[in-house]
Amino acid sequence: MNKEQENLNVEQDETADAVAQESPTKTVTIHLHKNYSWGDELKVDTECIGDSPVEVGNPIIEDDGDGWCTVKIAVPKDIKQQKKKFRLVISDGDNAQNKVAKTVSSTKDLWLAKNGKAKKNAEAVIKYEKNHFFWNEHDGFEKASLFVLGVSHIKNKRYFEGIMFLLVEIAFFVFMGFYGVKSIINLCTLGTVVQGRYQDAEGYWHTVEGDNSMTMLLSGVITLAVIALAVLFYLFAFKSNLRLSEAVRNNEKYSFKAFVKSFANKRLYIIMLIIPLAGVLIFTIIPLIYMILIAFTNYDANHQPPGQLFDWVGFQNFFYLFGQNANFASTFWRLLLWTLVWAFFSTFTCFFGGMGLAMLIKNNRVKGKVIFRTIFVLTIAIPSFISLLSIGTMLQRDGVVNMLLMKYGFTSEPLPFLTDTTWARATVIIVNLWIGVPISMLITTGILLNIPSDLFESAKIDGAGPFMVFRKIILPYIMFVCTPYLINAFISNINNFNVIYFLTGGGPASLDNFKGAGGTDLLVTWLYKLTVDNRDYSYASAIGIIIFLISAGLSLIVLRRSSSFKNEGSF
Amino acid sequence: MKAVFSKAKSAFVKAFEKIEEFFRPLSIKLGALVNSRGFKYFKKFFFWGLALLMLILAVSLPIVKLNDGKSSTLFGFFGLISGHNNGQLTYIAVADLLCAVLPIAGIIFFLVEEFAFKNKKHIYVVSKILGILYFVLSYMLLSTMLCYKSGLEGAGLDGKFMLSQVGFAYFALLIADFILAILFFKRGRLAASYIVLITLSIIWLFPLLFIVFTSFRAERGFYTDSFIPDKWSFDAYIRLFTDTSIFQFGRWFGNTLLVSAATCVLSTCIIVMISFVLSRFNFASKKKLIMGFLIMGMFPGFMSMIAIYYIIKGIGLSQSLFALILCYSGGSAAGYYIVKGFIDTIPKDIDEAAMIDGASQLQIFFRIILPLAKPILIYTVLTSFMAPWGDYIFASVIMGDNYSSYTVALGLYMMLQNSYINSWYTSFAAGAVIVAVPISILFIALNKYYVEGLSGSVKG
Repeated sequence: MNKEQENLNVEQDETADAVAQESPTKTVTIHLHKNYSWGDELKVDTECIGDSPVEVGNPIIEDDGDGWCTVKIAVPKDIKQQKKKFRLVISDGDNAQNKVAKTVSSTKDLWLAKNGKAKKNAEAVIKYEKNHFFWNEHDGFEKASLFVLGVSHIKNKRYFEGIMFLLVEIAFFVFMGFYGVKSIINLCTLGTVVQGRYQDAEGYWHTVEGDNSMTMLLSGVITLAVIALAVLFYLFAFKSNLRLSEAVRNNEKYSFKAFVKSFANKRLYIIMLIIPLAGVLIFTIIPLIYMILIAFTNYDANHQPPGQLFDWVGFQNFFYLFGQNANFASTFWRLLLWTLVWAFFSTFTCFFGGMGLAMLIKNNRVKGKVIFRTIFVLTIAIPSFISLLSIGTMLQRDGVVNMLLMKYGFTSEPLPFLTDTTWARATVIIVNLWIGVPISMLITTGILLNIPSDLFESAKIDGAGPFMVFRKIILPYIMFVCTPYLINAFISNINNFNVIYFLTGGGPASLDNFKGAGGTDLLVTWLYKLTVDNRDYSYASAIGIIIFLISAGLSLIVLRRSSSFKNEGSF
Repeated sequence: MKAVFSKAKSAFVKAFEKIEEFFRPLSIKLGALVNSRGFKYFKKFFFWGLALLMLILAVSLPIVKLNDGKSSTLFGFFGLISGHNNGQLTYIAVADLLCAVLPIAGIIFFLVEEFAFKNKKHIYVVSKILGILYFVLSYMLLSTMLCYKSGLEGAGLDGKFMLSQVGFAYFALLIADFILAILFFKRGRLAASYIVLITLSIIWLFPLLFIVFTSFRAERGFYTDSFIPDKWSFDAYIRLFTDTSIFQFGRWFGNTLLVSAATCVLSTCIIVMISFVLSRFNFASKKKLIMGFLIMGMFPGFMSMIAIYYIIKGIGLSQSLFALILCYSGGSAAGYYIVKGFIDTIPKDIDEAAMIDGASQLQIFFRIILPLAKPILIYTVLTSFMAPWGDYIFASVIMGDNYSSYTVALGLYMMLQNSYINSWYTSFAAGAVIVAVPISILFIALNKYYVEGLSGSVKG
């Protein structure tokens, strides 16, 4: 094939940068080495890309003899700022059988191509534009290994890779043949045979073991994951094949030892990623896809396999939640509202409480800072289920708090801390302070220490009092640094399971709400109740997706903020 | 989306500017007033005057109201208790008297000191002592609240409901003492924050102390109306480990320790590996990978627990501790964020220098990155140990009814069910103490690293 190209050696001249800086153009010098089969003539053209033409000076070619030439091109200096591009085409005269091209979008973006292989320039990655296809350039074995992976590797005596590729492919087809195809069909139907008994013509009873929609769905998801992995593996094998063919052409030496060693160096990331990604695939991605798919089925308390089948229902669960089913919708909207109210209050009370506490402790005249911090940090150290369960029992109707209040005569009858909806909501937010304030205290302490002290000094010189310093320096600084943290805290409060579940268990129970949702239930605790207590998996998954959409929307804002941070620099 | 966001933002900013513009003349005037000498003088005497006013009110208004219509001022109160030999009433009366008389001495001291002495340095010590005194006094006064009901009932003077018997004078006295405490703290160059900090510390420690005390309580019941146990004993602890008929706490504790330790090792390895890769390697789908982790993190964590349960059942590991370990550490890679942020801050020049010296990436990982990332490593170890230690949800779903493989979280939760709470409440407290103490010690010892990790999460 076009092997001539590979002998075209291009090197960037290092003196290119030293060209006069005042002129609007920059002369870039390239050294080329042309193969003799190219003919005598060497032609360098520039082609415009896009609407706006770039004014590129005519390339000047100087013959240095011995196959080398020097090409000088004047390129506008600000080509990168204007986002313009042009294409540099080097060919051998008019018949243009041998041709290489390169898109240039900055003055540094000139190329250093050696042996036809794109190499990394110090400044920019150079891409080698190919005007040829795989099919035209490769031999039979390479073509064959598009279908039977590893053939070309085996032919070139790279047995380990070749046999591995082949085995994986065989394993995949065996898997698909015995299991995969069937489970994909099952995934579409979700089962057709209902479990039951029937009487045949002679009066005998037969038991039919019906389909289990749940396992069908799960195996379908697993098959989908396997197919996705297989596609990725195929792409990997294909790329490996390309690399192999290039290596063979360049007569690169291959040793199995070096190949193995490269896994400790260049390819280390493959080894290091396999275990974490496998874990994430099995314990996060597959379950997640499974649950997302369930949101589009009717897998609820009335459709429990193996006794019954469930089926695809499209967006019906979402329509139910949003208003089609009056009971569901009213409960859902009420819980959503309370979730947002809870997230707002718990985030801001904790944040400002923690900030106040941090500032109290930061006071230079306070001694024993370590003791105070340790006291507050204790609440983070103790597992939250212990402290919350304890506080929960203390606040019960017969708990010690009510008992003490009655004993000392503060109240004549027990206060409904956790049994009245409004009281319970307030209690939950206040108890959450007990846990949340120390965390934000730790965070704001770190930030307060980072505020440049000259700001305080200059404020003092200007005669600002402590309140003014707080309003004009500390608060803006903390808000500036902490906005992403605050939004993240808001999201994690939307998902705050522990505080609600261990304190109130979602209660007090309320007749207004549907499916066991209580007065303080958040969407997540309702999700938990729907899955564990009611087995309404479809609604639970739909709620999970809605929570995801809310969190994702808020996270978008965080991303926007944090990218604007990078532009703004510092406060 | 972008356009809407920026429009809303600019509208908000404009509205805010308008409001500020409207109030600007007012705030300038206010600022001038605040900075004027007259106002400073006014401020100085306002709080002293308020304290004095409150004291006068406290002496003249009724401090105890009785349901039979009689009421009694502070000095009448002594007449009231003279006929009864009642310790609690005497305590109330003495506390009230001290709180009323000593502040008057303090105000006189202030006036003398303000007008008589020019050199005020020697005053600080006295002010400090007075400030602490008033602080203690106000707490003493607060504590008398606990005596009103039983004291009056014991003397046969009525009782039942405290708030109907405490007169306004009591609160006036309380306010006066607190104001004086703050004022003298300030005069003595002692941070007034102490007052708030000590109060908050008491509130923060109350539930913890109660649980510790309950664990040493001799009587078993859940219903109790005393903060400090009447009789102390170790029974709850002994019972927790010996009475294994219903709750096999010792075994569960071992289970939890095993699961936490194994999870801690596994997830730390996983997190460090993935953070190192994402920080130091460039490969084709890195950005997609990071994006994928970001999206996965936004789904509620336990939404997928049912699916995990069935997968574990499919592998044949259902209701086993090994399944729990796999479950906790399997998905832990998603928590790489903070560690990656830390590794990013380790300069890449060090890597490159090592590479020039012929080090492989594996050597760089073990010899350079790991030692330099020690603080964040300890943070990861700590958090990944604490997560399974305190987790309830996954354990409850995976373990089901397999009691012998329960973790402490499940066990302690079960002790609080209606059928057990009355006989097991003190043991629950003992279990809570046993679970909380080691982790708290560990946490406080490694607190420095935790804070470092947290601030990493803020820097993003």
